[in-house]
Amino acid sequence: MMWSWIPSNGAMIWQLTRENAYLGVIPALIGLVISLPLGIIAARWRWFYPPVLTVINVIYAVPSLALFIALIPAFGLTDTTVIIALTTFSLCVIVPNVVAGLRAVPAPVRQAATAMGYGPLRRLITIELPLAAPVIIAGLRVGVVSSISMASLGQLIGVSSLGYLFIDGLQRSFPTEIYVGLVLVIALALICDLILVLVRRALTPWQPGRDRRRVVAKVPVPVAVRP
Amino acid sequence: MVHDTLLGGLGGNLITFERVTKEYPDGTKAVDALDLEVPAGKTMVLVGPSGCGKTTSLRMVNRLVEPTSGRILLDGKDVREGNPAHLRRGIGYVIQQTGLFPHRTIEDNIATVPVLNGQPRARARARARELLTLVGLEPSLARRYPHQLSGGQQQRVGVARALAADPPVLLMDEPFSAVDPIVRASLQDQLIALQTELHKTIVLVTHDIEEAIKVGDIVALFRPHGVLAQVGAPERLLGEPADDYVADFVGFDRGIRRLSFFPAENLALTSGPFFGGDATVAQATAGGQPWVLMTGSDGKARGWVSAATLGALPGDTPLAQVPADGFGHTFTAGTDTLRAALDAAVLSPAGEAIAVDGDGRVLGVATFDQLRTAIQAADAADTASAARARAGAGGPPA
Amino acid sequence: MSFFSYAWDWITSSANWHGSGSIPQQLVAHLGYSGLPLLIAALIGIPAGIAIGHTGRGAVVVVNVANAWRSIPTLGFLILLATLIGFSFITWLLPLVVLAVPPILVNVYEGVAGVDPGVKDAAKGVGMTGWQQVTRVEVPIALPLILVGLRTSAIFVVATATIAAYIGLGGLGRYIIDGLASDQYGPVAGGALLVVLLAVLVLAFFALLSRLVVPAGLRGQRKAE
Repeated sequence: MMWSWIPSNGAMIWQLTRENAYLGVIPALIGLVISLPLGIIAARWRWFYPPVLTVINVIYAVPSLALFIALIPAFGLTDTTVIIALTTFSLCVIVPNVVAGLRAVPAPVRQAATAMGYGPLRRLITIELPLAAPVIIAGLRVGVVSSISMASLGQLIGVSSLGYLFIDGLQRSFPTEIYVGLVLVIALALICDLILVLVRRALTPWQPGRDRRRVVAKVPVPVAVRP
Repeated sequence: MVHDTLLGGLGGNLITFERVTKEYPDGTKAVDALDLEVPAGKTMVLVGPSGCGKTTSLRMVNRLVEPTSGRILLDGKDVREGNPAHLRRGIGYVIQQTGLFPHRTIEDNIATVPVLNGQPRARARARARELLTLVGLEPSLARRYPHQLSGGQQQRVGVARALAADPPVLLMDEPFSAVDPIVRASLQDQLIALQTELHKTIVLVTHDIEEAIKVGDIVALFRPHGVLAQVGAPERLLGEPADDYVADFVGFDRGIRRLSFFPAENLALTSGPFFGGDATVAQATAGGQPWVLMTGSDGKARGWVSAATLGALPGDTPLAQVPADGFGHTFTAGTDTLRAALDAAVLSPAGEAIAVDGDGRVLGVATFDQLRTAIQAADAADTASAARARAGAGGPPA
Repeated sequence: MSFFSYAWDWITSSANWHGSGSIPQQLVAHLGYSGLPLLIAALIGIPAGIAIGHTGRGAVVVVNVANAWRSIPTLGFLILLATLIGFSFITWLLPLVVLAVPPILVNVYEGVAGVDPGVKDAAKGVGMTGWQQVTRVEVPIALPLILVGLRTSAIFVVATATIAAYIGLGGLGRYIIDGLASDQYGPVAGGALLVVLLAVLVLAFFALLSRLVVPAGLRGQRKAE
């Protein structure tokens, strides 16, 4: 392990980290923005959800590298290709959580709100979404962590990310570079995860502080890292 | 703590708690030095507020919870001897959430313990179908799955499953608390009927004092934190609560509720006057009674009519044409309780309870005075017999 | 030209169906490179998940494993091993197994631990031994989630085996990696499409398996939910 390599290549490492972060976080956020209306519709009109879920399951079965490749003719070997692909995968994870979160709002709460004179839109924004927030954020966390990890794979189609450290490290038989890459990807993912936990705590002061991790595993979409 | 030992039972105590304590690492005691005896063939109800240790005590009998100190004897043997799974197969267990296995049919659910014991599945299933009838369900439900049944039906299946291996003991933990009151009453009645047939030793936990009084042969009332307040027959707790806690828990109209334990057979009746449909208004008012009881041609009561109403009618009107002013209900002389009789009197506009025979034909009426005499006599008899029982057991315990 | 036309042209050109490195050959190889890690991962993950789910001990391990696992970049992990020990069967088998275990472990655990507490209490109360509770009650009820775990892991392994081509493994990934290296989009698209089809086939297989294996009582219950 050659420690000196790190500071001497600090600028490059930092650049790659920023790029990887960008390629990981943006898709998750866009995915959230698209998932919310989709999930709200699916929670409200129940017949809509099963076909959506089937589509999600099929899309999520597509290996991420294959989806990158499929998008190349349309978007080239660019950031856009990776972002579109990762946004799609984030959607697959977040939509079921939006639906689950909204459906978990107890019916008596919704009925009380309606009885007090909340219109459907106001009730959705001020009551249902806040109560569904923990579950939705749990989905977002999975989306962000997976995206950051998968973004490094984009290096195989030439899209710059921390994956460069893996490939260069292999070509030069230089383990240090690979370790650095691994540590940074994992650290980046876990830091973003932690930030989202803090966001959740800030948004939901009524909840006990401990992590509700079990909620994630209960959502129907197979939750997995895509390589 | 007042503990009345009971006469009768089929020969001794089947379950004995000897200074049983359950203490948790943080110091809280769920059960505190419990001494309790459950006679064979009787229904013992453990009742009390949340957190009083009744469920914990129950679950120590089949070793789902292990006591911190003390021991529990089942048929003379410490339950901790031997294999817990083997012990449990000999004890029926019914819980509030039913715990029916969702992946098995109803008949396979009921057949669980016999199959565990090695019985061939076909025979166990046949027996399961018999048990379905015993608990009041259609045998056609045998091949269905639990989620297809209503809550009350599921609970009956739970009882059938507990009875399948014919265990001498049944443990029931709030078995009827999760269903609505009408279904609950039906299930309670079914349990009472089953007991008269099967004579199991039942320990039942409930938070509902009414259920305890209705279903129990002996009621054990717990204080918070696992201490017994009083143990005895339901009418004992109603008639002689050991202290204010028991009196409060039992409820404020315990005097009247206690009357449901006294049969109405010794209630004196006035045999008249009551008049059939052929009698005329003039005949009915001849005696100067403020209220007249009218019967139909079949001898059954039609209702009360006031003298004022009759006075407004021509004297030769047959009573059959006169509508009744009020009725209430009747009580059956041979089988109903003093409480039913009292209630009938209260509801009657005449203040008199109508006594009928088994076919509904009017035998006579009981006035409030006659009711008072009967109630006082029953109360005196009951108190005397309780005192005799205590004396026979060697005086009040320490 | 679109992705599909590139892929279709390449797949349907007969040259790719003969000789060494042919489509059938790589397909079979890919199945082997996916199947073996999946099998081993199942042999590790299913008993572990059942044990932790039944006893409740070690549950905190499962939760942390799930969180950490998602952050591991597959490519980096594979490359690390290749750099350290060169290319041998351990180089690809170990990472694939390690990465395939968590979805199985988490889902089996959730399935077993998530059995209704009343049902678990009843299973104990009627006198089943621990083993009987697990085999006759908890595992059958957990079966839908166990299958989800296996399905997730299977699809994931198919994808990971594709990437392992980068460190020298055969299989369908070869077309992608070699095509990328030689700037030929045909095999890249064709290989990608084949991998997708394989993944979808795995999905369908598990859907069918689920229908056959899951007890009717549970299926009805899920519909009622």
